[in-house]
Amino acid sequence: MDNIVELAVSGKSALFTDPLTKIGGEKCSYQIPTYEALKGILGSVYWKPTFVWVIDKVRIMNAIRTQTKGAKPLEYGGGNSLAMYTYLADVHYQVQAHFEWNLNREDMAQDRNENKHFFIARRMIERGGRRDIFLGTRECQGYVVPCRFGEGEGFYDTYGELSYDLTFHGFDYPDEIGRSEFHSRFWRPKMQNGVIEFVRPESCTVRKPIRAMRAKPPRTSGSEDPTLWEGIEAMEVLP
Amino acid sequence: MSWLQKLNDTYENCQSYVGMLAQPDDIPLVPICHTTQKAHVEIVIDAGGNFKRASVVPKNESRTIIPCTEDSAGRTSGEAPHPLCDKLQYVAKDFSRYASSMKQSYFESYARELSKWCRSSTSHPKVVAVEKYVTKGRLIGDLIGAKVLIAGVNRKLLPSFPKKGGSEVPPIFSVVQIQDDVFIRWIVETSGDVESKVWTDRTLWQSWIQYYVDTKSNKALCQVSGTMESAADQHPAKIRNDADKAKLISSNDSSGFTFRGRFLNSDQACTVGFEVSQRAHYALRWLIGRQGYVRGDYAVVSWAVTGGSIPDVIDDSFALLGYDVLPDEQIPAVSTAQEFARRLNQRIKGYGKELKNAKGIVVMSLGSATPGRMAVLYYRELENSDFLRRIEHWHQSTAWLHRYRYKNVGDESKLAKRRLIVPFVGAPAPVDIALAAYGTHVDEKLKRVALERLLPCIVDGYSLPRDLVESVVRRASNRAGLEAWEWEKTLSIACSLYKKLNEKESYEMSLEPDRRSRDYLYGRLLAIADSIEQWALKEGRENRQTNAARLMQRFAEHPFSTWRTLELALLPYKARLGPKAVNRTKMISEVVAMFERDDFVSDRRLNGEFLLGYHCQREAFWKKPEESSLEQAND
Repeated sequence: MDNIVELAVSGKSALFTDPLTKIGGEKCSYQIPTYEALKGILGSVYWKPTFVWVIDKVRIMNAIRTQTKGAKPLEYGGGNSLAMYTYLADVHYQVQAHFEWNLNREDMAQDRNENKHFFIARRMIERGGRRDIFLGTRECQGYVVPCRFGEGEGFYDTYGELSYDLTFHGFDYPDEIGRSEFHSRFWRPKMQNGVIEFVRPESCTVRKPIRAMRAKPPRTSGSEDPTLWEGIEAMEVLP
Repeated sequence: MSWLQKLNDTYENCQSYVGMLAQPDDIPLVPICHTTQKAHVEIVIDAGGNFKRASVVPKNESRTIIPCTEDSAGRTSGEAPHPLCDKLQYVAKDFSRYASSMKQSYFESYARELSKWCRSSTSHPKVVAVEKYVTKGRLIGDLIGAKVLIAGVNRKLLPSFPKKGGSEVPPIFSVVQIQDDVFIRWIVETSGDVESKVWTDRTLWQSWIQYYVDTKSNKALCQVSGTMESAADQHPAKIRNDADKAKLISSNDSSGFTFRGRFLNSDQACTVGFEVSQRAHYALRWLIGRQGYVRGDYAVVSWAVTGGSIPDVIDDSFALLGYDVLPDEQIPAVSTAQEFARRLNQRIKGYGKELKNAKGIVVMSLGSATPGRMAVLYYRELENSDFLRRIEHWHQSTAWLHRYRYKNVGDESKLAKRRLIVPFVGAPAPVDIALAAYGTHVDEKLKRVALERLLPCIVDGYSLPRDLVESVVRRASNRAGLEAWEWEKTLSIACSLYKKLNEKESYEMSLEPDRRSRDYLYGRLLAIADSIEQWALKEGRENRQTNAARLMQRFAEHPFSTWRTLELALLPYKARLGPKAVNRTKMISEVVAMFERDDFVSDRRLNGEFLLGYHCQREAFWKKPEESSLEQAND
C-alpha cells in the first residue's frame, strides 16, 4: 500500500532500554532506536485499532552520544533506591513508515478507508502528534515534525557500514499476531551510511516466547455500535 | 548494548591466556564454571587416596582456581559446597570432632556432590582419588599429624596461638585467623602425570565444565547469542575486586519497579545463556585486574578484542611514552614540542603495527550507585585506527611543558635518593586534571565524576567541560593559596586545558612575540616583573616572595590597577640591578606598546590566556644562556 509517511523525531535525550540491563535497574540505552519504540512514536502521533504501523527505515542524523544520569527510582516498600541510567543525548531521527490493516480485528473492517487514515496521519504529523511523543521511556520527551526522508546532512552519511549485535526488535502482541501468545523478537541491525532498514516483524528469526496473553479489545466499536441507541426514543430537534 | 557479546568475543580470542599467571598473585582469566579462592593448606595424596604430606600455602601463592557451581560461587552464609576444593567444614568428615567452634559439619552435601561427579561419565582420576581419601574421614587428623594444623590439650584445634615468649608461631596462623576456616586444595601425585596440581590441570577443568553443563537442563533463548542455551540462574560477581558483591546483571530484583507489567518475572524479561554470561564476566574481571583503573567502586578499562596491548586512556603522555616504567637513568628529557610530536607518532605507530589484526577496541567504565548493582556508565566500541587517532589527537592538542614528574636519583654524598624533576611535554592525566581543578583533598566521588566527564573528551573528541577549565584557571591564579610544587603543576595543567579548550586559536608552547591579545600580553608583563624582582632579590641574597607572586590573584581580577602597583614597586629593584636591568625594562615598554588602544587601561578581569602568556614568557627567560644562574635558582 502506498501510504508512506515520513517524519523527523528529535529530543534532548532518549532511552531505548537494553533488556539485559533493564531487570537490574541500571538501565542502559541501545545506540539505535528499536522498531517497537518507533512504532510507539507513530502510535503516539496517530493510532486506530484498524491498522498497524510498519516501520520501514530510520535515519540517524546526529552523532550518537551517551550521557549517564543518576536517578532515584521508587521501591515497592516505599522510599527510593539509587540507579545510574545511561541515556542517548541530542537525538534526531528521520523515520519512514506505512500502515497495514490489522486483519485480526474484523470488527474494524468497515473502517478500512485508506485515504481517511492516511490524510489524518499526515495532518497529525504536521501538528506534532495527538499524544505526547517520548523516545523509549516516558521521561525522554520528543518533538515530531514532517520531513522528507533523506534530505539534510546527517553525521553518518559517509560512515559506511556499522553492524550491531543481537538487538531487541519488538513485541508480538496477541491482537496483532492472532494467537493468544506474547513474544519478543530480536534481530541484528545493520546501519548503512546512517540508515537502518528494518526487517518486517514476521521475518524476525529469533523469537522468544514469553507467556500466554489474551487479546482484550474493547467491547464496543464507538458510534457504530448498534446497541448504543437502545432504550432511547426518537430525538426531537429543538428550534 | 553489545558489551556482553564483545566480552564473549574477547574471551574466545584469549583462550590461550586461560589459567596463565604472570605473577602468582595476578588475577587469571578463569575458565567457566570455576572461580578463584585463596587457599591456605595444600594436601598431597596419591592415586589411591592415601595421605602423603601437607603444607601451608604462602600468602602470595594462595590464589587458586577451583571448580564451582552457581550456588557455591554466590554463597554467603548458607550451605553450598564447592565440588572439589573447599573449607574444612565441607571436606573434613572429622570436622565435628576437632573443630573448636560450634559450626555444623557440611560434609554430607560435599560428599554427595563429589560422588555424583565421580560416578558420572565425565569423571576424572584425580577426583576419584580425592573422594577415596575424603571418605576415609581422617583429614584433620592427618593434618594435625603432619603438624600443619595445631591441636590443643583438649584434642581440638587451637582457636588461636598464645603469644608465649620463645615458641615460634606456626605458619598456619600467618595465613588464617581461625583454624576452622582453613581452605584446602589438592595435589594428586600419580606416576606419569606431570600436572599433579588440581588447580592447573586443564583436563580436570574440562571434566568439571562438561559435567556441570550437562546437569543444567532448562534451555531458554539466550538474548546475546540468539540460540537456545541453558540459562544462567545467577551471574558472577567479584568483577572489580575480590570483595566486590555487585553484579552487572542482577536477576533477582523484585523490590523495585524494573520489569513488571508485561513481564511477570525476570526470566521473561531477560535470559542470558549460562556459558555466555560466565565467559563475559570472567573476561571483564581479568581485563580489569590486568589493565583497568579501579578506585573504590569506579572502574575504567579499555581493551582490544583480540587481547593485544593498547594505550591506556587515562595515562598522561609521560606514561604513554613508557617513561614511568623505565629505570630512572634512562628517562630522556623531552623538552620541545617537535620532539614530543615525533615520539608520540612513533609510539602510536608502534601500537598500530601490533594491533593490525585486532577486531576493534572497547572502552568501558563501570560504577555503582548502590553496593549490590553495577552500571555501565560509559561504553564505546571503536575501530583500531579510530581509537589510536583520537588518543594521539588528545595528547597532541593538550600538550604543554610540565614539570611535575620526577625520577629518583641516588645522591652519593647523602646516601639517599632525592627527586629530580623531569620536565616533559605532553598531556596531563585525567586524574591530575581532577586534582588540579578541585584540589588535592578532593572528595573521591567528585574525582570520579570529573574522570567520567573527561572520558568522552579523550575517546570521542568532545570539547572539554568549560567549568573544569575555569576551575583549574582560577586555582592557578591563586598563587598565594597553593604550595610551590602544587602551583607549578596547576599552572601547567591550566595552560594545557586552556589551550585545548581554545584549539582554534592554536597557542604555541613557546613565546609568541606577535600575539597581541590583551590577556596574553598582561601575562607576559607579569612574568617580566616577576623575573626582574627575583633577579634583584637573588642579587641581594634575600629569600622573599616577589610582589608579582603575592599579587597574582589580584592581577587576574584588576590587571591595570595592580600593574600600576607592581611597576611602582619595581623601582627599588631596578635601581638595585642598575644597568643590567636595561633589557628587561625595554621589554616592558615593548609589550605595553603592543596593546590595542583601550585594552591596556581597561581593568576587566583576565581569562586563562594570561597564564599562557605568563608561562611562555617565563620559559623564554629560563632558556636564555646568560640567565643560567637564574635557572638554577628557580629549580
